[in-house]
Amino acid sequence: MEISTKQVLKILYVLSWIIFIGVCIEAGGSIFSAFYTLVINPVNAATFWEGNDLSSLYKYDPGHFFAETLLISIAAVMKACIFYLIIKILHDKKLDMSQPFSREVRLFIIKVSCLAFGIGLFTGWGVKYTEWLVKQGVKMPDTHHLRLGGADVWLFMSITLFVIAQIFKRGIEIQTENELTV
Amino acid sequence: MSLNELSEKVDLTLANLSILKTGKAKAIRFSTLEAICKVLDCQPGDLLEYSKK
Repeated sequence: MEISTKQVLKILYVLSWIIFIGVCIEAGGSIFSAFYTLVINPVNAATFWEGNDLSSLYKYDPGHFFAETLLISIAAVMKACIFYLIIKILHDKKLDMSQPFSREVRLFIIKVSCLAFGIGLFTGWGVKYTEWLVKQGVKMPDTHHLRLGGADVWLFMSITLFVIAQIFKRGIEIQTENELTV
Repeated sequence: MSLNELSEKVDLTLANLSILKTGKAKAIRFSTLEAICKVLDCQPGDLLEYSKK
């Protein structure tokens, strides 16, 4: 049995929804946990989102705790935005396989590229910041557990997508030319 | 000759003929040019014109 492009897109749509819900929960959890620790109950720092113990960081300085959780939250929100864009383009059926090179798809690739660059930047910053905090004697969980790992991968993805967007630009021109060839 | 008649004889859609007529066309195939010249009994030079914009 041959799987058609339409079926693949349908599967990707369902998968994107599942991942989107997951990253939204993660982003919401991180933000809520940070807010709860800073405003309501500092004891919560010991069981920060997904059991990461940030009590040592909170004891060291609540300001640094805020900065660290802000970096985690920004990266998580950006991840959710990427999946929102994927769901949106699949839901609006902007991916027309008979004429794949369109302005909307190019814009989508550029947006995802920018978001990936942002995630790479903030996670990279988060890793460096965590390393600095460890040097100051603060006991910190692994950056991978704080969802700050893989900055280089995000940056690589961003650059790759940007190159693809440039190829799409030329593709749109060729497609328009082809459509206007009688 | 009406556009409908020409489109039937040249085997081109009305939409494509309209693209040609309005000057929006980016390129024309030799086969299309040949078919139009054959139906209208003319030379490509009678259909094409260069103008400085």
